[in-house]
This record gives sequence, C-alpha cells and structure tokens, in this order.
Amino acid sequence: MTHSASTPNASRRGVLAGMAAGLAAPGAALAATRRRGEGPEPRFLIVLGGSGGCSIIDSFMAVRESESPNGKILNAWPDSLVQSPGNGPFRAIDFSSKTIGAIPAPFTANQSEFVKRHSQDMMVVTYTGTSVNHGVAEHRSVTGNAAWRGRTLQEATALTYGAGKPIPNVHLINGTSFTDRGTDDSLPSSAFGERVPAPNLWPLSLDGYRGVKGAPDRSLFDAARAFRDGTLDPQSDFARTFAASDRLKRWFELRGAPLRDIEGADLITQLMVHPDSEDMPLKAHGLKSSPLAKKVREAFPAYGFDPIESQAALAFLLIRCGVASTVTLGPENAAVFNKGAALGRGGLSAGDMRNTPIAFDFSHQAHREVQSLMWSRVLSVADRLITLLKSEELAGGKSYWDHSLLYVATEFGRSRNRPEGAMTFGSGHDLNNGALIVSPLANGGHVLGGVDPETLMTYGFDPVTGRPEPGRHMTEAEVFSGIIQALGVETPGAGLPDMRIMRRKA
Amino acid sequence: MRLLALIALLALLTAPARPVLAQEADPTSPDPRVKFKDGERYLRDLAESLEIPRSAICLELSRYDCADKAFRIVLGGVDPYDIRIMQPLDQASLASPIAFDRVALQVCSNRVAKDKADPATAVLFKPAAGRPDAAWRAALTDRVYDRILRRDADEAERQRMSAFLQGIEARTGRSPKGQADQTILACFALASSAEAAFY
Repeated sequence: MTHSASTPNASRRGVLAGMAAGLAAPGAALAATRRRGEGPEPRFLIVLGGSGGCSIIDSFMAVRESESPNGKILNAWPDSLVQSPGNGPFRAIDFSSKTIGAIPAPFTANQSEFVKRHSQDMMVVTYTGTSVNHGVAEHRSVTGNAAWRGRTLQEATALTYGAGKPIPNVHLINGTSFTDRGTDDSLPSSAFGERVPAPNLWPLSLDGYRGVKGAPDRSLFDAARAFRDGTLDPQSDFARTFAASDRLKRWFELRGAPLRDIEGADLITQLMVHPDSEDMPLKAHGLKSSPLAKKVREAFPAYGFDPIESQAALAFLLIRCGVASTVTLGPENAAVFNKGAALGRGGLSAGDMRNTPIAFDFSHQAHREVQSLMWSRVLSVADRLITLLKSEELAGGKSYWDHSLLYVATEFGRSRNRPEGAMTFGSGHDLNNGALIVSPLANGGHVLGGVDPETLMTYGFDPVTGRPEPGRHMTEAEVFSGIIQALGVETPGAGLPDMRIMRRKA
Repeated sequence: MRLLALIALLALLTAPARPVLAQEADPTSPDPRVKFKDGERYLRDLAESLEIPRSAICLELSRYDCADKAFRIVLGGVDPYDIRIMQPLDQASLASPIAFDRVALQVCSNRVAKDKADPATAVLFKPAAGRPDAAWRAALTDRVYDRILRRDADEAERQRMSAFLQGIEARTGRSPKGQADQTILACFALASSAEAAFY
C-alpha cells in the first residue's frame, strides 16, 4: 500500500496561482505590502519539539501488516490497531498496553481523536534528515540544516512578526537543541529566543518591583533606577573602565526600552497562570492571576506539576496577550508521573506515567509503547492549545488560531526492523521520517509523499504539484522553506526552494 | 635669540611629564573582560556583607529562594540535573536585569525591615537623631558603599549620592519612614549597579 498525496484541485484558478507562485519569489507579496506601508498580518509559530524521534510511521503514515510484504519483520502495525479516521489521508494508532517494555506502567494512547478534530488543518510532509545525533538533528529541524544562513524558524518568525512585541521569541522547553540559537549573527538580538526555565515562576522575573514587600512607592523606585542608570553607573570607574564590554553594553541596553516594554505590559499579571494559593501566595504580595488564568488552568489542569502543561499554558498566554510571535515547547527528557503515583506490587496505575524518561527516545527500549504514549501526549497538548487559540478572536472575526502554525519538530525517524511478529521491541535512529504541521495557513488535509510498503521508508513529492515521487527524498531545507513560506515570512535573497504545495494560499 | 628659543624648546621636550591625575586618565580598558556575578554568588556576597543568613536573604513570594528556585537560570545559573541546562546563558536574557533589580530590591527591603525591627543591631538603616542632614546622608552613603560594594565612596560619589538622597527626601519627607525609604533606595541603587552585578 502506498500513501499518496492528495492531489490539489487542478482548477484554472489553482493552475494560475501555481504559475504565479513559480514566477514570483515567495514572500514577494508580503514585501510589496510592506512597501505600501502596511504591516504584515500577525502570524504565530508554535514549535512543539518531540525530542527523541517522533516516528511518522507510528502515527499518520502507519502501515498495516496486511499492506506490506515484509510486515511481520518490519514495523507494520496489526491491522486492527491502525485507524483511518473519516476515511481521510491520515492514519492513526489507538493502542493500549499494560507495560512500557519492562516497566509495569499501563496506559491508553489515542491518535485518532486528534485527526478527527484537526484533519482539515493537518499536513504531513515526508523528509529524510542528515543526522542521527540528537542535538545536531534537533537544531537542523529548525534551521533546515542552515537553509537560510543558519537562522532558525523561530528567529525568522520573530524578525518578521515580532515588531512591537515585548518578547518576540520565547523558548519554554529546556535541555534540547530545538531552542539553540541559530548561526545568523546578522539578526538583531530581539529575534533570538528568551529562555523560560520555570514557566510557573517566570512571570515574577518580569517586574522588578511589584510584589516586593516593604519596598518604597513605585515612583521612588523608578527614581532610584533613573539615578542608577543616568548618574551612578555612567560615572562609575567600573562602567567607564569596562565600557567596551559587550556584556555591559547589552546589560545597559536591556535596562532601557526592553525593560520598560515588559514592565509596562504588566506581564507579571498577564502571564500568571497560578491562582492565589498556599504555594503561590499572590494576594499577600499584592499580585494576582491573569484574567485568562482560569480558562487556561481548565485546559491544562496539570500545569502545577507536568512541565509540558505549564509550558503550554504559558504559551497560550504569550500569544494571546501579544507578548510573543513564536513559542517553543515540548516534552522534556525526565519521566513525569501523576501526582501521588506509587509503584505498588502490581506496578503503576493506569496512566500514571505521563512522560517516559528521555521522551520519544525511550523507543530504544520499547518502541511501540513509547511512540504511542508520547504521540498521544504531544497531540493532546497540541489539541488543547489549538482549542484555546480558536476560542479567542484576534480581529475581524478571525481567531488566534487562524493566524498560527504548529510544527511538531523532531530529530529523525526510527529504524523499521523488528523481531518477527514482535509487539515489544527496541528501535534505533533513522534519517528517514516525516513531519506534522497543523495550521490554517498550511495545505491542510494532505499527506505529502508516501511510504514504500516493502521497506516502510518514506519518499517525497513534487514541491509544486504535490505529486508523490517514489525515489525522491525531501530535505530539511525543503520542510523549512515550506513552513517559512506558509507563514508568509519575507525571504528576499534567501534562495529557498519554492514549496508551493505546502502553502494554503499562493 | 634663536639659541634661547631652541634651549627653551629642548627644556620643554625633556622636562619630566606632569603626573597624570587618576580622574583625568581615560580608564577604558582595551580588553574589557567582565563576568556576570550569577545569582548565587551575588546573594552569598550580600548575605555576608548585610549579615542575613543566605537561606533568608531573598525569598520570592516569601517561599522560593530567588537564586536557587525562582530565577536560577535567568540570573546566570545552571541546572543540569532537572532541566539539562549545563551552561549559563550566553547573554543576559530580557528578564535578567529585571529579575536582578527585583532581587536587589528584596534584599535591601529585607535588611531595612530587620534594622527597623532591631535598631540595636542595625546594619544599614540608622535613623537620624534629629533632622536628617548632610552628615546623616554622608554616613548612610559610607555605610551602603562599604556594605554593598565593599569599598569606600570617593568624594564625587558621596556628592552624587547625597544629591540623590536629598531629592528623595523632598518627596518622602524627613520622617523615619522617609529615612527608611531613602536607605532602601540608596542600597538598591548600588546593589543593582553594574559594579555589583559584574566582576
């Protein structure tokens, strides 16, 4: 069986649009808009980093055993576990297990619900990467292997859409290279990512004054800052001696407009997810929660102890409150358990293990269980984040989601072989894979490329027509370009390939 | 006449150079290497100099240690075990100077609150016996420079701080509360200065 790309409607209008896209450099329309003095429409990029290798053939391009001549020794799934929700192009694995390899941790995983809810915005794109080293591959998944002078997708988005936002590029995930800085040093520092190591406490670092007990009035505090910035520091021997230090220059720069913008936006309130509580005694310190906090907490009830839920809660507020144009989040590498989970005689209770150690990479021990559990986890967070963004209007009857693109970035795929007929087995890293993009801006409802049923390796597609091309392998640069172009980022002189088929509009 | 002019010129050229006064020298270093004093180092120094136990010097929301919990990475720390951040931030983040100000303000407010509670062991805040005057401001200036920057203030620095305190006094009045506010603000200005943040 081969998953073919759905061929876009070959209407005259579509053909003309395709021709126009081929003639005009991607991003030219946006550049023209800007020359007319109009700002670009807002766009938001959400990078959901699936650390450890989210395998596309264990999700939306799964192959049934009956469809592959080598199905028993390759990672083809039992027919009964492979769903085709809505008879669309996307497959889904719904799978339950009592163990994760040797770990007695029962779970139930579901992918089909996400497909049912979001298939019209889902686009799966095959590609073959260039590294099976975690850090290298993670970074290449967001730079397209240095497709555009080494800048990351997040940096490019922040550069185009971050103007006027106090913190354009926010990195919520820790310990991965999805958030490493790109290598394009020509970018302004405002495009680079701001690290948020502890989403629940981070808002407190966005105001130097509010909530500090016993402090003098704010106006006096501001006067002390003005004295320090205008007199004390500039005239100190220390600052004069080290005036040429880049570190000092940046420090003084950050104390200016960036600080005023951040404090002026009252982000210590707007981004505060926690309610007043014993753990977070906000009221006693003159602080309060975000007006949207209750809604966010209902969507992500485990925000207090599950890192990805606290990241997602803050990610929504960062976009909704106009703070950031791009956020990067994802499951971290530590195991996460339900509160109060205990390893009794019979093992953990159902669903107690929320995140496997080393995330998707625990597939080395138990490929199918880990892929199922972790995909289900990532999709659940994505679904709730999308739902929140859909529920809030940005302007003109359009929601925040209408302006957003969610990219599930990952390093690589996983090896395809397995012991004959085995359900539990370990897998290695493999360059060949595919990526999930969800967005009203992308060419949703399509799987671009296909799977060779004999090897379970993915193959590529024509970047303009989307026609499947067995034998062709899409590159990281092509995926990068397609995302950048779907977002409408200006790309003059970048030399990126035109990935017309990945955009909803020309 | 020409000979005299030549002798005068030679005398000028060979005369020993006038010593350059420190304040006239351009202090700019051609190799300006400074490091950010990360939160832990910063708070340990202040704990010692302000005589507050390290564990109590700065607690965000009265619960979370500022350097260890609340702002660990933002203030240049690492956390390899829990979140795999092995290296301090390459550059200060947008939040860094704000968090730094917040910590400095908490530390100074904390010290002055303790001074008010137990005047006999006061470290920074010592209310004036009568009306706060130039001598009171000079003494306060000396105390904060000594405690925060661990050095004496020079005359120009004394004058600048005194002028600042006078300006604040015009807004706070001369009450003990106004004096306490001046103490906190003098402490804050120095504790959040570049000299305190970098080394």
